Amino acid sequence: MSRSLLIKSLIIFSLPLSIILSTLLGRYPTNPIHVFESILSVLVPGSVGSPPEALHRIIWLYRLPRIIAASLVGMALATSGAALQAMLRNPLVSPHILGVTSGAAFGAAIALAFLPGYVPIELMAMTFALIAFLLVFTIAWGWGKGSIISLVLSGVIVNALFSAALSLAKFLTPDPHRLASITFWLMGDIGQAAKWSDIYRMALIIIPCSIIVVLLRWRLNILSLSDEEARALGVNPTVERSFCAMLCALMTATAVSYAGIIGWVGLLVPHIIRLAVGTDNRHVIPFTVFFGGTYMVLADDLARCLTSEVIPIGILTTLMGAPLFIYLLRKAGRVWR
Amino acid sequence: MEIKKENPIIKVKDLSYAYDGKIIALKGISFTISKGEVVSILGPNGAGKTTLLKCLLKILKPRGAIYINGKELWRITSKELAKSIGYVPQRHHSIFAYKVIDFVLMGRAPHHNIFSLPSKDEYEKAFKILEILGIKDLADRTIAEVSGGQLQLILIARALIQEAKILLLDEPTAHLDIANELKVLSIVRNLVKKKMVDTAIMALHDPIMATLFSDKIVLMDKGIMVAQGRPEQVLTPENLYKVYGIEFDIIRRGNGIFVVPKDVSKV
Repeated sequence: MSRSLLIKSLIIFSLPLSIILSTLLGRYPTNPIHVFESILSVLVPGSVGSPPEALHRIIWLYRLPRIIAASLVGMALATSGAALQAMLRNPLVSPHILGVTSGAAFGAAIALAFLPGYVPIELMAMTFALIAFLLVFTIAWGWGKGSIISLVLSGVIVNALFSAALSLAKFLTPDPHRLASITFWLMGDIGQAAKWSDIYRMALIIIPCSIIVVLLRWRLNILSLSDEEARALGVNPTVERSFCAMLCALMTATAVSYAGIIGWVGLLVPHIIRLAVGTDNRHVIPFTVFFGGTYMVLADDLARCLTSEVIPIGILTTLMGAPLFIYLLRKAGRVWR
Repeated sequence: MEIKKENPIIKVKDLSYAYDGKIIALKGISFTISKGEVVSILGPNGAGKTTLLKCLLKILKPRGAIYINGKELWRITSKELAKSIGYVPQRHHSIFAYKVIDFVLMGRAPHHNIFSLPSKDEYEKAFKILEILGIKDLADRTIAEVSGGQLQLILIARALIQEAKILLLDEPTAHLDIANELKVLSIVRNLVKKKMVDTAIMALHDPIMATLFSDKIVLMDKGIMVAQGRPEQVLTPENLYKVYGIEFDIIRRGNGIFVVPKDVSKV
């Protein structure tokens, strides 16, 4: 087996492997055989004997939903990051450039600070995430005819606008407990999204969007050329970039609305993959989908297991990401020009 | 050198363009290009050469008319146009260091839809083109690891795999040393002579290179066409003085003419 094939196989198998191993991790001591019995008893009914009831509930009500939610969120953020870095021709871009993260943060803050408890936070977050993207899109098209620089700058403007609005919302929050819950939401927590009903909703958006981005993988190579070169190759870069940006915005909005703000994954994972498989997006995009899931599942394992309290995952992805990024910068010459 | 009048594949008629509707970049340009011709659009910096090429590529929308193989340019879809015209930019700056072979394959984009991938046959085609251009050994290197001259040949390879019969080159030798300059331009000329492409149109600012490698020259200055025709018709001391503000001697040797500045101290 060649080295490249080995690396690619490792990346693909890392996701199911990390999912399986993560079901064994947690504060409740588990026997691996009982865990597999519990999983198999649902996947292939009647194939194994019935596992202990308490463990079965822990696996299916707590651990697996959390792990699957983490992999979906990681997949969404990393895939969006890889696609955006290619099409915006900027290796430092992350999905947050589209304005959806700060929009979602503002929406969640409004729900947590001022609205009654029955209004779903994720609905408010999603609504404002999409409003933010709509604003970015309108400014970029209205002012800059959809050029790369206008898309990036309008993202910066809308991010600043919603960050200020978020600060104002926090300042005006009447109740300190509510303020604390806003702060906690902003740090990101996969636990918020770890319900099967939420997972189905997330999957319904993230999986089709990821599949379409994977199908666009070679086109992203063309979109990473200058506008002039792309046009000379018969491609309309502004229209195709907008289409791709919409898919990324939808995925990111879904992920952050359910799990809160999680940094670095969308920036870092594509770079790790480029170092492993090269720069061609035909390889980068599909392997990023898998490794994005793995990275987030592992980060969430640390969040759950490092201390007796669950550490907000946004803190961990940043703590893990920053030193890793410094290491990557040293090796970056191979993939950046 | 005799210019063949048959088969006009490009016809430009009374072309004008102004940036933001105010800054005039082209004014009343008309010329035709026939099959088998290597044509240089010659002029100093700011003459409107790149603007003219952008009009031919449908990137800018000028006044006047352009016909490609008898069809009005604005009636041709961008995808169809990319199958007719292969473009070699003046500079290429990619953020990601793609492998040369993958980079060349991007030239197949006009033959694909938004979701399709290049086939094995197209890979073989790309290798063949690299072999023709004498750079097959670069296939597995990244474009960050090649020289300026090699990159120019790689860009030509990307244009050739488009299977376009018209090659458009924007100052292809602007950043090259003299040896690479001669190599790139003679490869372009040979592509036309060997009928791999019907015509090559190059924007150049060096009259010496234009005389060496062109069958026809369109001389431009400040957006206006000063002269057009065979090199010996166009490159007269009067025309060159008008365009460059420098006195040149025209030396005839064999079939060719050579342009040499008269007195460098007066430049």
